[in-house]
Amino acid sequence: MVTLIAAEAPHLPHLDWGAMPEPSKNLKQLFEEQALPYMDQLYAAAMRMTRNPQDAADLVQETFVKAFQAFDRFEQGSNLKAWLYRIQTNTFINTYRKRQRDPYQGSIDELEEWQLAGGESATATIAKSAEAEAIDHLPDSDVKEALQSIPEDFRLAVYLADVEGFAYQEIANIMKTPVGTVMSRLHRGRKLLRERLREYARARGIGVESEGEVTR
Amino acid sequence: MTDCGCEKAKAELEEYLHRELSESDFQDITEHLAGCEDCSREHLIGVILTEKVRRACQETAPEELRLAIKLKIQALR
Repeated sequence: MVTLIAAEAPHLPHLDWGAMPEPSKNLKQLFEEQALPYMDQLYAAAMRMTRNPQDAADLVQETFVKAFQAFDRFEQGSNLKAWLYRIQTNTFINTYRKRQRDPYQGSIDELEEWQLAGGESATATIAKSAEAEAIDHLPDSDVKEALQSIPEDFRLAVYLADVEGFAYQEIANIMKTPVGTVMSRLHRGRKLLRERLREYARARGIGVESEGEVTR
Repeated sequence: MTDCGCEKAKAELEEYLHRELSESDFQDITEHLAGCEDCSREHLIGVILTEKVRRACQETAPEELRLAIKLKIQALR
């Protein structure tokens, strides 16, 4: 600029020209700086999605490759974490879910059986006053296992809300469903999770009342 | 200060927990919880459940995956 004010001039030699935006050249660098730090989080989510380390690693790798290839279309300043989650969730639903057709995929049929089997009977054995503490004392492995056991759509909603702290609207965007659906998946998922954890606690003898606490 | 009652509180505890309520609803539930043992116990269970899940799900990506992804990105144009 020709009309430089004298006072600004001394700063000029110190400008870091390498750091100035230079779209094509710096895209890779920008991606590495901004996106790669989410790797642990995406991997943790992938573990809960695919339920095994090898598929999780493949899913995360595919997510980053796709994200990088689309990164020039990412709007700087918008929510990068949500954007990455959207890519990973889509990739999971479109490829891994189809591939993973084992019998324990958590179909809705399984759910009905499950709900019938669980139900209110489990409630009676652990006093409500002891429930929070009982849940709190369970090992992490029980929690992960319980999460694995609930149907996938519910599991995803619970994960995105409770582990990642996404807002309902963001989850709706990631899962491509209306907010109302997110809410019902989240509620039902958490209810199932809680029932399952209550069963684990009972099996481990945590929080079980011995003295006639078993009321209706 | 009018208590919104257990019915409303119980119905909205999940949204309360996830901070998805309007300011006034949030206020209503907060006030109700302060005076209702049953609902605050229910709320506590929800809070513990969330915290438990959040902590149990932390993972660190394997070093070889980190490296593989970096190399892959480097190789892309």
